[in-house]
Amino acid sequence: MTATVEAPPAPVEVEPRPRRRSPLDRERPGVRVAAWATIVVFGGFGLLPVYWMLTTALTPDGKVFAYPPALFPTDVTFEHFAALAGNSQLFGYLVNSAIVSSVTAVLSVVVSAYMAYSFSKFRYRGRRSLMYLVLSSQMFPQALLLVTLYALFDAYDLLNTYTALVLSFTTFTLPLCVWMLKGFFDTIPDSLIEAARIDGASQLRIIHSVIVPLSGPGLIAAGLFAFVRGWNDFIFALTLAGPDKQTLPPGLTNTYLGEAQTAWPELMAASLVVSLPVVVAFIALQRFLVGGITAGAVKG
Amino acid sequence: MTTAYSRRRMLQLLGAAGLGAAGLAACAPAPEAAEPLAADDPKANEKSFSFASWTLNEEAGKPVVQGLIDTVTKKDGLTVSGVSYPYNEYLNQLTLQVRGDKLAGAAQLDIAWLGALASLGKLRDLGPAAEGRGYTDTALASGKYDGRQLGLPWTTGAIGLVSNKDLLAQAGITKAPESIEDFEAALVELKGLGNGIVPYAASTKVAQLKDILVWMKTFGSPLLDGDKVTIGDEASVEAVTWYKKLYDQKLIAPDVDRFDARALFGQGRAAIYDDAIVGKGAVVSSSPDPSFADKLDPIARPVLRSGDDPQAQLWGHVIVVIEGAAANTATSFAQWMTSDEQATTEFFAKLALPPTTERGLASDAVANDPFTKAFSERVTATASQNPFWRFPEYAQMETVIAEQVQAVLIGSATPADAMRTAGQGVQALIK
Amino acid sequence: MSTVAPRRGTPGQGLSGGVFAVLLVLPGLALLAAVVLYPLVSSLVTAFFEQSLVAPGRSFVGFDNLAAVLDSDFLPLLRQTLVFTVGTTLVPFVIGFGLALALNTRIRGRGFLRGALLLPWLVPAVVTSFLWMWIFNANYGVANGVLETLGVIDEPEAWLSSPGTAMAAVIIAKTWASFPWMMVMLLAGLQTVPPELHEAAQVDGAGTVRRFRSVTVPHLRGIIGLVVLLELIWNFQHFDTIYVMTGGGPAGTTETFAVAVYDTFYKGHDLGRAGAIGLLWMVLLLVLVVGYLRVVDREEKP
Repeated sequence: MTATVEAPPAPVEVEPRPRRRSPLDRERPGVRVAAWATIVVFGGFGLLPVYWMLTTALTPDGKVFAYPPALFPTDVTFEHFAALAGNSQLFGYLVNSAIVSSVTAVLSVVVSAYMAYSFSKFRYRGRRSLMYLVLSSQMFPQALLLVTLYALFDAYDLLNTYTALVLSFTTFTLPLCVWMLKGFFDTIPDSLIEAARIDGASQLRIIHSVIVPLSGPGLIAAGLFAFVRGWNDFIFALTLAGPDKQTLPPGLTNTYLGEAQTAWPELMAASLVVSLPVVVAFIALQRFLVGGITAGAVKG
Repeated sequence: MTTAYSRRRMLQLLGAAGLGAAGLAACAPAPEAAEPLAADDPKANEKSFSFASWTLNEEAGKPVVQGLIDTVTKKDGLTVSGVSYPYNEYLNQLTLQVRGDKLAGAAQLDIAWLGALASLGKLRDLGPAAEGRGYTDTALASGKYDGRQLGLPWTTGAIGLVSNKDLLAQAGITKAPESIEDFEAALVELKGLGNGIVPYAASTKVAQLKDILVWMKTFGSPLLDGDKVTIGDEASVEAVTWYKKLYDQKLIAPDVDRFDARALFGQGRAAIYDDAIVGKGAVVSSSPDPSFADKLDPIARPVLRSGDDPQAQLWGHVIVVIEGAAANTATSFAQWMTSDEQATTEFFAKLALPPTTERGLASDAVANDPFTKAFSERVTATASQNPFWRFPEYAQMETVIAEQVQAVLIGSATPADAMRTAGQGVQALIK
Repeated sequence: MSTVAPRRGTPGQGLSGGVFAVLLVLPGLALLAAVVLYPLVSSLVTAFFEQSLVAPGRSFVGFDNLAAVLDSDFLPLLRQTLVFTVGTTLVPFVIGFGLALALNTRIRGRGFLRGALLLPWLVPAVVTSFLWMWIFNANYGVANGVLETLGVIDEPEAWLSSPGTAMAAVIIAKTWASFPWMMVMLLAGLQTVPPELHEAAQVDGAGTVRRFRSVTVPHLRGIIGLVVLLELIWNFQHFDTIYVMTGGGPAGTTETFAVAVYDTFYKGHDLGRAGAIGLLWMVLLLVLVVGYLRVVDREEKP
């Protein structure tokens, strides 16, 4: 899917240039202003609701429904956050989510890597159809898949297990990973593969010793996206996991959305707290995201 | 390896593998249906079972229900495992579990859901278990389906109008309005208080518009006559037209459901709203006013003509037992939870949910609580069931009606057309 | 190896390579067949039967279910689904691209911003739905609070209960959850545009906009294609946000196929009709996606 671009001959270099500097830095201030304006407007859109989550989490119970709501509340309480510390059930949900999402990510990446490699580096009849088949498998309404999946897992006694959740999540993570990795593998030059073949390596050997080491960033990127898709799923987790294997989305709903009232401050506090570890992890792994999405590292 | 395979062979291989996996999935052994066990079957007397309840996961209710379960566990040496889903998803999930025979034991149910769950055919007839336990007739009626006692009543009440005494006094309203005209006049007075106060926080969100059924009944529509849906008749159209009038005059507010109404009421921004007794706790705790509980006063719903009974929708929870393993044990458990004097008194004391036994209702704690007393007299006394509950698709029916009413409120349909469409839609669902 | 540009895979690995290729595909295919294909086919087959979720047994009714769906709800559902899908794909794309371009410059604090702006995506989706419902609430939501205080509106608006604004509200909510991942993808793409290309273009006298059009965008075409395609498919599927915020209302004006399937299934207990909606849905989506891919893939050598 990547277009081929041939670099025109570079101009004579007068001074050494640091790598990865954007030519936009040397632009007119107009660009800087535009950049800041974009950040304020769009970034504001992104971050203000997060601020609101925080504000709500700090609001005492009696003031939650006050109108107009205070934008800079002076009356704050940390009781909702404190209550989380004693909530071992919430911690259980977090652990379940982490386990299921991680296993889903790993399984999806491993299985889809082989598929993607096949789609990318080989040509055979039916390849195109298979690709569409894989893509179309995530086009089906989850609600309908659910009934049959439920019966299926029930028959094999897999209900209320991590296995059921992982398998059902792969219905939507597998196609995602296949397509991302295919795009990634497309940018690995065949010359490398040819060279390895000439050296006498078998197909499998090529994959494991040549492709995989080069693909670290791509595999990690695909894995991270698969992780988030699993992290966010509500309906499969609600139906297929038992009370002790609940992940965060149904768990949060269960705990804070009651028959008589929704516990808004507690819900916001809990949501912020459980999202933070994931944010930290993503920030740490960000450079892999950058490298893995495009094969920037792979240039002749 | 350079063994040559023909292309066709390759495709066959591929197809076979795919079909094989699909076939494996398809040929999975089907779950076996559970059959009711004989009364003396030891399996029915197993000491270990599950109890499904959404209250088990709610902050206020959990310790109370768990406490009761612990008492029973110690007393009779049982092992009860709690199962819970969020209230809004509870019926769906429970249906799947019961349909697949995954749940053995008892389950808490909102009385509205009894018909839907009963149609799966897995619930035990608790008629014999209900005898001699002292349940009131209204309570028993709430747990009946198709003539059989399928649920033991745990708490029974009704959804009625709750008012803020303070705000009413401020607007000069000394007596609860009895006729529809008086009620409207009172709402106008309340609107005059200004300050963004919503006189009547009536339900206007689709999810809660089923509340309008009570008003249709007030205006004289029976809603269901045998198997014939009467929505679309003059009375129902009149009710919706009246509702739209209140909406246009801003005597009721848009985008309000039960939660919103409680929030508004607790903030002192609404003078009247619809609720069951269970809402009192939520309203009081979300109010900044420490003495708010004293301001609550249930009032009887106004009537069209004097002499009519004020309409109220029956509300409550029951406990059902699923036929099969541990059914007998679960039945005794259900009996204890719903009619044991100590259990019900404690339940009421902590959660303000009225008991369902004569003795419980006559007890000091209940009889002396002014709110509960007023509620039972003015609201629950004349409460009746929602006629659509006996159909498993009742939720779909309510949605059909609600969507049409909403169309009227936003002005995209006339009351007459909308109600006719609604009536036809509901009739079509009765197969 | 002196190739500068990555080149496509060449055919001619031999038929034995072909068998190997197929074997690579098998594990994934088997998994998908079991977990997706079988339930999918099973549900689609149900479209031709009259089957209830609660009552046992079913009877064959041929095309009745499909006809019933096509007769009644189909066109409004289609229109609303398309509006939602296109809206929730294009708007976050614009936002994500804008932010990616802005964060690609050397402004201060971009490292922090890159991380902080991930939060909307990483907060569990179900919380996002409730958060925006909370914000847009007509009676105590902060949107009304801010607008009223600023004097933009005189009295609280019922965002989620008015036909025009309800769809906008759910699109805004979904956009908020989607833009971060698009931003990350596009930013990654931007950072691999070789600076030499920009400089060369600059030497040729191209301005910022021109360079954007002839250097940046072509280089990013693959990523843009991927991001838009995936987001389109997911948004067509999307259910949580609409269901929580409006339930498909007011008066069914925000109901999409996904919501319709869920309601028909869980409230109406009508498996047959739900299957019919699912079948129509799949056909539509397949047509859209295959069409899209044909256009995008035209440059890929067969």
